[in-house]
Amino acid sequence: MKLIYILSILFAFLCCNLISSKDILADNKYSEIEVPDGGTIIGNVKYMGELAAVGLNLYRGWELSDTSKLNSEKLVFSKVNNGLKNAVVSLKDITQGKKTIIPPVHPIIDQQNNNFIPHTIAIVSGTTVDFLNGDEQMHNIHTRSARNQPFNLGTTYKQRISKTFDYPEIIKLTCDLHKNAYAWIVVLDHPYFDTTDRNGYFEICDIPPGTYTFQVWHEELGNLEKEVTVRPKETTTIEFVYSQN
Amino acid sequence: MKPKVLLDKVGFWCATAVTSAALMLSIAPMTASAVNIPTEVTELGKDTYKKYCSPCHGEEGKGDGPLARSMLPKPRDFTRGAYKFRTTPSGSLPTDEDIYRTISYGVPNSTMIPWDILTEEQRVSVIPVLKSFSEAFEVRKPDAPVTVGLPLRPTERALTEGKKIYEEKLECWKCHGVEGRGDGPSAAEQEDDFGFPIKPFDFTTGKFKGGNSAQDVYLRFTTGLNGTPMPSFAKELTDEERWCLTYYVMSLIKPEETKK
Ligand code: HEC
Ligand code: HEC
Repeated sequence: MKLIYILSILFAFLCCNLISSKDILADNKYSEIEVPDGGTIIGNVKYMGELAAVGLNLYRGWELSDTSKLNSEKLVFSKVNNGLKNAVVSLKDITQGKKTIIPPVHPIIDQQNNNFIPHTIAIVSGTTVDFLNGDEQMHNIHTRSARNQPFNLGTTYKQRISKTFDYPEIIKLTCDLHKNAYAWIVVLDHPYFDTTDRNGYFEICDIPPGTYTFQVWHEELGNLEKEVTVRPKETTTIEFVYSQN
Repeated sequence: MKPKVLLDKVGFWCATAVTSAALMLSIAPMTASAVNIPTEVTELGKDTYKKYCSPCHGEEGKGDGPLARSMLPKPRDFTRGAYKFRTTPSGSLPTDEDIYRTISYGVPNSTMIPWDILTEEQRVSVIPVLKSFSEAFEVRKPDAPVTVGLPLRPTERALTEGKKIYEEKLECWKCHGVEGRGDGPSAAEQEDDFGFPIKPFDFTTGKFKGGNSAQDVYLRFTTGLNGTPMPSFAKELTDEERWCLTYYVMSLIKPEETKK
């Protein structure tokens, strides 16, 4: 009896070892479960830093002021509600939840007028992104990712290049011929995330009830975190505010 | 095709290119199997690295050895696994043979000499040491080398075709300049992944860093130079077009300037 006991402990120990070493390699901590009573979080990410005041130019009505044009891709926020565009909201350290669906229709990043469109996308690991070139001239797409294999590919007019991103990482895309052009791909290892729209709104649904840390990432403003309790079948509204510059 | 179709100016270069390419193709598999590259870090490897490589590449392979300070191009920082001269696709790690090739032939126009003063055993022994500096080799494997088709003949038509690709289709001139002097409109602002300024290669010098054979040139723009702005043009061209572009690029070599 004692022997079996010791053996089972040893076995459990071995299993733990196996799992943890596999974890390091596969990086996959997320497991899928049924979420029959998931809650929804909707919210708004706001920018209230110094430039927000400058951005609101009463004399020019709702027109874009020059400052916001200047900072165009780096910091885009709505002048109506200060909502911040291109921020990625996600649940931090979520270990189980709804099924991950890898989009069968590949998200697209297009190069148009020497710029990447859209500027920021968030995807779940395993997603393939299609890169297009809509300009009648040569571009290249250059990444320096470490976990996902980096690449630097030249593209010509109407060319389509597909790349799959398998590991969670924040990846910057650049074009060496047009130094001002860049874009971001945020790869996450679970399906609970959203990219804010031009008014800073996001929505994340089917979250298993519980308390989680929500995280926002923005290329210029960095990270913000907030603890939020998700209640079954309820919608909770939250707000993130960046007050620095 | 008859010799008279060859352009006088480039005929010689292309002829040497084709013969050396043919030679390369025939000897490549032999050298690959002839050298026995160890998979584990050995004492010999560590000693050789410390003595001959670390003054430039640094004790931990960060490219920050005591001699590196005022050097440009900088000695390679091995920690990212970004190698310029490969037979593998863009972004991929190099094969062991690729690394061996660079160590044996050196990198012209830089302080990286051909390490033929070392024995073959010493040269192969440092390869696992270089790889151990980068996590990339633990999490990824090199992709399969790209296939290089049989060389086309460097005819006048091939050169015209190559010129079209260089100037119109892929716009190489934006970085390398119309005459290939590395002075295109985008040349001045280029920097590598480590933040150091880098010049698009001046083809007129003829001393290609990755080797002077047609196959070498073919491989450089097909696989790109990892860690630099030089992209890979993997999908844009057929094999035939690649040879045309290769010959055109080689036709930009100015023999007078090579002699200097
Ligand atoms: C005097 C300085 C110096 C020493 C000593 C030196 N290197 Fe280098 N090495 C360089 C420089 C500079 C480069 C970068 C050349 C470039 O990028 O144009 C380089 C690049 C390399 C590369 C990069 C190849 C690629 O595909 O990107 C390898 C591999 C390499 N060295 C291996 C070695 C080994 C092995 C030794 C020791 C036997 C060594 N080096 C000693 C200066 C040095
Ligand atoms: C974005 C700028 C850029 C464009 C576009 C570009 N190159 Fe380059 N290329 C570079 C840079 C920078 C280097 C030098 C890297 C180094 O020295 O390490 C280089 C190096 C090379 C080399 C390697 C030479 C050697 O030393 O072995 C070849 C061959 C080459 N380019 C061919 C081409 C061709 C052909 C095209 C067009 C299809 C092209 N390049 C387009 C920037 C560019």
